[in-house]
Amino acid sequence: MADKKIGAKGQAFAQLSPKDKMKKVGDLLLNNAMYIIIILAVIYISIKVPAFLKLPSIVNVVSLTAAKLPIALGIGGCIVLTGTDISAGRVVGLTACISASLLTTTFKVFPEMTSAPPIFVVLLLVLGTGAIVGLVNGFSVAKFKLHPFIVTLSTQLIVYGVILMYLKNGTNNGQTLSGLTDSYRSMVTGTLFSIGSVAVPKYVLYAIILTIVMWIIWNKTTFGKNMFAVGSNEEAANVSGVNVSRTIILVFVLAGVMYAITGFLDSARIASANAATGFNYECDAIAACVIGGVSFVGGIGRISGIVVGVLLLQIIFAGLNFLSVDANMLYIIKGLIILIACAIDMRKYLVRK
Amino acid sequence: MEEEKSPRQLRGLYDRVNISVGTLNVVIIALSIVLVACLAFGISHRGYQISFDSLGGTAVEDQKQMYGELLQVPEAPVREGYTFTGWYRDKDLTVLWDQDKDTITESMTLYAGWQE
Amino acid sequence: MEKQAAKPAGDGNVLLRMEGINKSFPGVKALDNVSLTVKAGTVHALMGENGAGKSTLMKCLFGVYNKDSGNIYLEGREVNFKTSKEALENGVAMVHQELNQALKRNVMDNMWLGRFPKVSKWCPLTSESKMYTATKEVFEELEVHVDPKTVMSRMPVSQRQMVEIAKAVSYHSKVIVFDEPTSSLTEEEVEHLFRIINMLRDRGCGIIYISHKMEEILRISDEVTIMRDGQWIATRPAKELTMNEIIRLMVGRELTNRYPEKDNKVGEPLLEVKGLTASYSQLKDVSFTARRGEVLGVAGLDGSGRTELLENIFGIATRKGGEIYLDGKRVLNRNARESLANKFAMLTEERRATGIFAIRDIQANTTISSLKRYKVGPFLSDKKLSESTDWGIQAMKTKTPSQKTQIRSLSGGNQQKVILARWLLTEPEVLLLDEPTRGIDVGAKYEIYQLILNLAKEGKTVLMVSSEMPELLGVCDRILVMSGGQLAGEVDAKTTTQEEIMTLAAKYA
Repeated sequence: MADKKIGAKGQAFAQLSPKDKMKKVGDLLLNNAMYIIIILAVIYISIKVPAFLKLPSIVNVVSLTAAKLPIALGIGGCIVLTGTDISAGRVVGLTACISASLLTTTFKVFPEMTSAPPIFVVLLLVLGTGAIVGLVNGFSVAKFKLHPFIVTLSTQLIVYGVILMYLKNGTNNGQTLSGLTDSYRSMVTGTLFSIGSVAVPKYVLYAIILTIVMWIIWNKTTFGKNMFAVGSNEEAANVSGVNVSRTIILVFVLAGVMYAITGFLDSARIASANAATGFNYECDAIAACVIGGVSFVGGIGRISGIVVGVLLLQIIFAGLNFLSVDANMLYIIKGLIILIACAIDMRKYLVRK
Repeated sequence: MEEEKSPRQLRGLYDRVNISVGTLNVVIIALSIVLVACLAFGISHRGYQISFDSLGGTAVEDQKQMYGELLQVPEAPVREGYTFTGWYRDKDLTVLWDQDKDTITESMTLYAGWQE
Repeated sequence: MEKQAAKPAGDGNVLLRMEGINKSFPGVKALDNVSLTVKAGTVHALMGENGAGKSTLMKCLFGVYNKDSGNIYLEGREVNFKTSKEALENGVAMVHQELNQALKRNVMDNMWLGRFPKVSKWCPLTSESKMYTATKEVFEELEVHVDPKTVMSRMPVSQRQMVEIAKAVSYHSKVIVFDEPTSSLTEEEVEHLFRIINMLRDRGCGIIYISHKMEEILRISDEVTIMRDGQWIATRPAKELTMNEIIRLMVGRELTNRYPEKDNKVGEPLLEVKGLTASYSQLKDVSFTARRGEVLGVAGLDGSGRTELLENIFGIATRKGGEIYLDGKRVLNRNARESLANKFAMLTEERRATGIFAIRDIQANTTISSLKRYKVGPFLSDKKLSESTDWGIQAMKTKTPSQKTQIRSLSGGNQQKVILARWLLTEPEVLLLDEPTRGIDVGAKYEIYQLILNLAKEGKTVLMVSSEMPELLGVCDRILVMSGGQLAGEVDAKTTTQEEIMTLAAKYA
């Protein structure tokens, strides 16, 4: 059946005039310019540094993708609502610091503590923290009708202040938190399975589970359908009996929970946490969403797109890392990628207008 | 004629986009060229800058090295009244750089550890 | 017939000539070979029902829409304005029905917006004093007594309209279009407006005057052009026309076969509304009863409170007072969700703005209001979703390639059917339909009427707002007539006439 479809498409294409053909091809090239550039870059890199295509490097890219996936899945919902969330990175930082300060052997932040609380208690605490920030974001967006950019800009600052003060607590004096408990580290970075001598960490599994859960939420629940409806036409959603405010708030709370999970995994993954943890993570996540076709038009987006977006970004950056390209240049490249991805996204919806 | 102003259908962040497809095409192509240029520049200037902060000891010269290589151990700095204990990743001297195992993955500064 | 309207070129008297204008929107032919000739020193009235194509024609003149074909000549020279600014600079101005003004700024800022006078050639700063004196001059000429420094939002609508007219005059416009200028004016202000219009006419301007108000038209205009369904119908000297003649030309068409046979049975009272008053609109003290199986029409002019009535019943506008009873039980309907639970459904007037989810597919658009029905545990069942959507497509006879088609690629009529299906899936008792056939071609209209009557036959109550009077007469059992936010009267659709409804509609206007 798929063959038939392609066949029909090919036939339709063959019937077009040469000028229309040019236009079609041009459209195709421009709409996929981002992918083309990334694929060409990856091909170049793998020729230049063959080790890039070896197993350890591939596992590395997959692990990095898994680590960055939850935050992107959270932000994706905000973008579907035509919003965004720039507090994400700081929430990751806060939750990473909380996890690292409690699941540790040194207890610098809470000197009076002697043993680490159970991991799941800390996890719940961290999820609650993320949810509260999400609630503040969602409430302000839904009720004050402020643009999410402004709302999350303010929560971003507030959360950053909280992180800095938190790290000053006890005898820590703002230093990097390390010395995490073995059980915490092994729960996150322990070996899921090994391919030859290369170990795949457990958080890859967690990312897969989260992806499945989010896919179900987006596609199989009332909440998910309502989210897309609110994103594509808020007024119509209201008239259709959708509880618009509740939907918006829930999307942000869910996003906050996803950031919290990212933070929880990240501190164990890096084996430390400080005020800079999570910094600028939202940029990567937003870029991944836009590359993956979650449109700022609102009401459009797929989980699979987000996964592809995160993966592509991690491939290109891991590749550039392999080539030893300077981090400063990577910022410029990241910014350009976001800009081009937005321009292409815009183009898709302009043409149809 | 194709681009007639029909009543508003799209909302969201592109609600007020005020650009024609033609102009946008030019913008996309221009930005893509800039991106490729940046990639080319970054690749041609590849290599990570490793700086050494001897924290009061004699100065050590910067190095430029590739991804995945071991650090080319520089001559140990000297400081009066102290003995050199090794290079550390952070200023608080908590993470020691293992010269035989750790490989370079980014530009960084290493800090000298001293013992009285 | 159209050829007669267009006088041969070179007639020195002719200011503006529009010839054979065509304009289509997806699914609708909005203008079909329309011609209009305006002579210098005359007031030319443009009449037609809502949706007849008057404003589309004007938008083509001003470049808001690109016409598909046809020519526009201004003083014998072909013009094709791209923007309304270009039109203004060439002496064609429009006083809009909805005022587009910067309300936070003062009068003179609005007058000179886009062409602020400079202090001098060498000093690029704007000159407040020049602006002030120039504004004063125009105001004196028009006998408008407004301080040019007043902030717009502090002035009543009538004065703001005067500013708009003054702006048009200050451009030395040769052709000025007035779009329903009197809808928000008092009688005295209307007199003032007419004085200004007469003055402009005597100066040799050509005035295009769009209005629904027959008396005004017959009083002030020299010639009348009547449009219907996007077509030119007639251009006659105003002296030769009577009110009845105009109505006949405007409505004109045969009423047989445009509406399905009415075979619904009106039963017991179902919906009772008592003293409904709105907080933020002029809707005041509306009471009525609607019965099972009845199609109850709501007529009235634009802005008479028809839409507000439905919005207040459905709870998407804030009520100040009044009670709603369904089957004798009081219902609150504080928001759309509550109304839905109380078995109300509402089809909104602005399909694009508040009806469709343009980029979502047919399935999402059909099922959004009834998602609870498709749950299996906490999850939605794809099978149930697509079954219901299929039902919707078949019951409404929607023409669509598949359920997964984006709704924006359908024609207006098919979009409307999808939204109707959305509401029917919530199994409502009372359907509130606001302009259900606006922007839909004639064939699809018939199908929508049939659907409405079928619903009535199932014992549901349908409240239907429409600007098209023949449609109300053809489909409804009774018609409520709104005027100035109040209920002006209630008529039996079988025995009433358009004149009676029009008289009622003007009662509090």
